Amino acid sequence: MLFDDMREIQHRFGYLPPDQMLELSKKQEIPLYKINGVAEFYPEFRLTPPAQAVVEVCTDMACHLRGADTLCSDLEQKFAKMGKRAVEIHRRSCLGQCDSAPALTLNEVVFRNVSTELAETHIQAKLANIDLPVPAFEHQPVTLLADPYRVRNGESVPERYSALRALVASRDFDGVITTLKDAGLGGMGGAGFPTSIKWDVVKKARGDEKYLVCNADESEPGTIKDRFIMTHLPHLVIEGMIVGALVCGAKKGFLYIRHEYKEQEAILRAEIDQCRRDGLLGESILGTDLSFHLDIFVSPGGYICGEGSAQLEAIEGKRAEPRNKPPNSATVGLWGKPTALNNVETFANVPQILANGVAWFKAQGRDGAAGLKFIGVSGDVQRPGAFEIPMGIPVSEAILGLAGGPAPGRTVKAFSPSGAASGFIPFDKFRDTHLDFKSMRAAGTMLGSGAIVVVDDSRCILDMTLNAIIFFRNESCGKCVPCRVGSQKLVDILVGWTRGKGAPSDLQLVADLAETMEQTSICGLGQFVPYPITTAFKHFREEIDAHVLHKNCPAGVCPIASARAQGQAV
Amino acid sequence: MKTLELTIDDKPVTVEEGTSVFDAARLHGIAIPVLCHAQNERPIGVCRVCTVDCGDKVLQASCVRPAENGMKVFTASDKVKKHRRMILELLLSDHPSPCARQRVSGDCELETQAAAEGIVAPRFSKRVSPRGQDDSSLVISVDHEACILCDRCIRGCDEIRQNNVLGRGGKGYNAGIAFDLNRPMGNSSCVSCGECMVSCPTGALTNKSVVRTVLPGGDPVGVEELKTLPFFQKVSGTFLDLNKNAVIRRHFKAGEVICREGDYGSTAFYILEGEVEVFLSSMSSKKETAKEAPSLFEMFAHVFSPKKKPGSPAQNGGNIPIDSVVDLSLDNPVARLGQGDIFGEMTCMNLYPRSATVRAKTDCVMLEMLRNVLDVIQRNKTLRAEIEKNYRKRALEDHLRTVSVFSSLSPEFIENLSRRVELVRYSRGEVLCRQGETARYFFLVRIGFVKMVEEHAGGDLVLAYQGKGGHFGEIGLILRGTYAFTVTALDNVEVVRIDAEAFQEMLAGFPDIAFNLKKVATERELHNQRHSAAVSAMSLEKFLGQGLMEANSLLVIDLEKCTRCDQCVRACSDAHEGVTRLVREGLRFDKYLVPTSCRHCRDPLCMIGCPVGAIRRRNSLETVIEDWCVGCGLCARNCPFGNITMHAVPETGAPKAALAKRKATSCDLCQNLPEPSCVYACPHDAAKRVDPNDFFRDLISPSIDSGPFAAPDVPHGGRR
Repeated sequence: MLFDDMREIQHRFGYLPPDQMLELSKKQEIPLYKINGVAEFYPEFRLTPPAQAVVEVCTDMACHLRGADTLCSDLEQKFAKMGKRAVEIHRRSCLGQCDSAPALTLNEVVFRNVSTELAETHIQAKLANIDLPVPAFEHQPVTLLADPYRVRNGESVPERYSALRALVASRDFDGVITTLKDAGLGGMGGAGFPTSIKWDVVKKARGDEKYLVCNADESEPGTIKDRFIMTHLPHLVIEGMIVGALVCGAKKGFLYIRHEYKEQEAILRAEIDQCRRDGLLGESILGTDLSFHLDIFVSPGGYICGEGSAQLEAIEGKRAEPRNKPPNSATVGLWGKPTALNNVETFANVPQILANGVAWFKAQGRDGAAGLKFIGVSGDVQRPGAFEIPMGIPVSEAILGLAGGPAPGRTVKAFSPSGAASGFIPFDKFRDTHLDFKSMRAAGTMLGSGAIVVVDDSRCILDMTLNAIIFFRNESCGKCVPCRVGSQKLVDILVGWTRGKGAPSDLQLVADLAETMEQTSICGLGQFVPYPITTAFKHFREEIDAHVLHKNCPAGVCPIASARAQGQAV
Repeated sequence: MKTLELTIDDKPVTVEEGTSVFDAARLHGIAIPVLCHAQNERPIGVCRVCTVDCGDKVLQASCVRPAENGMKVFTASDKVKKHRRMILELLLSDHPSPCARQRVSGDCELETQAAAEGIVAPRFSKRVSPRGQDDSSLVISVDHEACILCDRCIRGCDEIRQNNVLGRGGKGYNAGIAFDLNRPMGNSSCVSCGECMVSCPTGALTNKSVVRTVLPGGDPVGVEELKTLPFFQKVSGTFLDLNKNAVIRRHFKAGEVICREGDYGSTAFYILEGEVEVFLSSMSSKKETAKEAPSLFEMFAHVFSPKKKPGSPAQNGGNIPIDSVVDLSLDNPVARLGQGDIFGEMTCMNLYPRSATVRAKTDCVMLEMLRNVLDVIQRNKTLRAEIEKNYRKRALEDHLRTVSVFSSLSPEFIENLSRRVELVRYSRGEVLCRQGETARYFFLVRIGFVKMVEEHAGGDLVLAYQGKGGHFGEIGLILRGTYAFTVTALDNVEVVRIDAEAFQEMLAGFPDIAFNLKKVATERELHNQRHSAAVSAMSLEKFLGQGLMEANSLLVIDLEKCTRCDQCVRACSDAHEGVTRLVREGLRFDKYLVPTSCRHCRDPLCMIGCPVGAIRRRNSLETVIEDWCVGCGLCARNCPFGNITMHAVPETGAPKAALAKRKATSCDLCQNLPEPSCVYACPHDAAKRVDPNDFFRDLISPSIDSGPFAAPDVPHGGRR
């Protein structure tokens, strides 16, 4: 694997020296341009020697709300004089630690709930070659309803992987598809596409070579549910994958996990090893002629890798650039073969449904919704975290109940139901909306990846919108024009608005540009880049107009506000 | 084959299954505008200009959308036109309009389409961070600003030509086309086939006017005729056609001079028929070299000037490296070249002055070629193998023998070795070996110059520059196991690389070589330690600013003692045939004047590029200019302190010899006298030759321990 070779070089030298890449190119007979193409594309790879301390501060959504920008500029100021060879400080995209914001990485190690002092101590230690222990992240043991194999008082506990064992015995693969269809299981990555249909297409596709991929690349700001599932329910994810592989007829599979999730990677590796030992994975599953080989594929980084076809490109060792569709990956997927690609949570749902039955599954939801859902709630709440909820609870129950609501004296102004992509919607208007795919869509928004980011009444919607669009701009792969150029132009215009440089004509220009990006971008990323601003137009038009037309930030957050306060002409 | 029926703009059409909507429309006379799609290339759907409405939730790029039965396609509805216009507007906002192509031929595809849509001034602000231009290729000029990332060049290079040079680099808004490891085009493995250029829809890749340069005084050679020569068979016909005038045939009568040492040139020669002789006119009258007593420093000096053979001068005069497959012996500096040989490669590729005079021995026919042609030949694998074979056969032995420590190798061993070495090319800035990495090769420089740098926490220290005949890697292979310094190519460099195994065999089979190499390695190691110790103690800003710490030996005049009597200048003039090498002017440091006189720098920039290796270190750290200087003046231009002067030399009128009309001179510390004459002559004890790091120690000592050591590149930066 190309990325493994590159990692090995980077591990030895701290970066990818040109002569090493040259040698790799000769050894693997891969043209230099391809190696360069991926080396420059993926954030994990470095092309210059690293400083003694490389600090990367997440500045997206939850971290932005928890003072990541101040943290970053404080550190920049403190270490500016040390020179580039001592300390490097960068901003980077979401680390998936939204429940313990702000987060940063220091020499690739993730730090959570970071204060300037903490960061400084650890950077100084790195400079002095002292190994300080990284503040540990304690996982509370949790009992989750979603786990059919949990220990229950008095009840006989079914053995883990019972659903899989039963399937291997019965070989009723069509039955699995019917069951999933009856349960109404939809893709939990955010699209909600029926899993039964996807698997059926792959199952019926011609050819023996098929693949199954689990998308564990969760990288959207606010999304932390897959991390939670992989930490606490790794056996359900793996069982769901093996079931899926048997149903679809895939002999080979990959679990695609982001490289920052080292802890979860280790948990899953242990789980996979255990399965291999137990004869549940590998050449002859439980002594039968069924086989499935599962490997973990560690992503070299980037939100775009979460886009299905881009993820397949990454596994093929290329730049993660989304493919034009149709054809879809179910028919033309990994290495051109039929591929079932599902989210972590979707796979984790499969053994639940098979072990507990469709009736149980439907009974878990509320008000007509089925099943359990994992969500993350972060931002301006007192108890940010990942939660298991019955599908269909009202928004207010999640934000005010589970996450403890805003800080005392504050009220919830708005929330983003699905990270950066959904944009912010007013809490008062949506507080009673049910958190399930159908209800949210009906209300004109989306449940998406269940990444609720909450902002209180001290925040500016334009500021948060710009933050979300900057995230997309940074994560655009650059393949197609509307996303590559459009996202930058959108950022340029919105930055202008926060600084009082808006013109009335901008409003129409942004609306037009948004429509073009939604209509002509290759993939979901490009189509969703303008969504936060069109959502803001819909729900917070006055606040946007205040910036553009009256050069005023009502919340007093944007640069234009401090300029006004100082009496400068704007 | 199954057929499909659909409507395009309400027109019913029938196409075969697998046809794209774009082609379905085209086959029925409906032209959909597009930028990223060309008929001879695989469609990729990235520009989104060919966007159409197929009735899906979102619009589709027609070039990649397969046609379907019953599909209703609209290629020019208001909705489609609105979005197509927006995409062109986005692209145009970052496009330097008019771009090079629009200026020359008025057919930039983006600008043409944007104009057709009536887009004059895009409403978006322009790109802030420039993407830059790349002028390094001899044939193609690259303007990244004009690039719209349609990937047509990429598919042309990798899929049509299968040259595999071009790809996308970067990500998102910072993505761009990149050659190899994002090198300048001219330094990449590009073979200049021109496919990218003809694929480009804008002015991002355009033909350079240099290809229209006409070489004077020869007969044009047709593409077809060139293709009959084995040497040109593998070169792309498109390329040769585009570069028609860059190769000419020339005839020389016996005795005629083909090129003269010291001349600037830009061509290389390929001998079709006949024989030439190569010599240095400056050497022809005096074959004796400077008398040097072998000393402990012999091997050490060799580090900096490997051209000289240690041991008794009588035994072997050593070689002078020239720009050819052979070197000239100091004893008999004449060489012969014949049919199939190339000479002048280094002049041609790096624009160095000619290193030797070449005269036709018999009547000759030559092909004279410009750099772009030679470049293409050198990049071609088959031709490269030819050159390499020729080199192995003819030159390796000569080359190895230039390196004094190898002079005792047996012919059999060289024969054996010649099969195991490789010729490796490096472009400017490329690292040949890196300090601290496992030593795997021994290197011998064949073409170009390299810089040897020791990396320290406080900055990098330049240890030496090496030209043809220089070698390195032995400290790593013999003493440390890892490379002792980082070696970087300063221009187009070609080295002979001997792998560790062959190298160790050589050490085992030839104990005297092993002994000598160990000595060199140890001396180099010791020297480096002293060198860096001295340097890392310095810190005074002004001291650094004037580059004084760079000096090994500095002439200083104590202005409190000096009466301005000018005895020193007179003494210098007397000692050097009436040409003074000392001007009593210069920078002041404290109460001392530092006159313009060679400082014998630690990092002798003057040595970079000398075509004949005449400026060198002989048996100490002092820099001297040897008699075989060809007068090109490069060193004088390189010296950051203006301490080298060019002056005329009288013609001696020796027959057949082309003579240097001028030579470079610089302070030689009065080699043959016990003390430099300026210092000896000073009646007031004001003039002194000192090691500045010792001499000024007291002046700069207060700051020695304080503050981090500023990297030596500080004075460099200031000077150049």
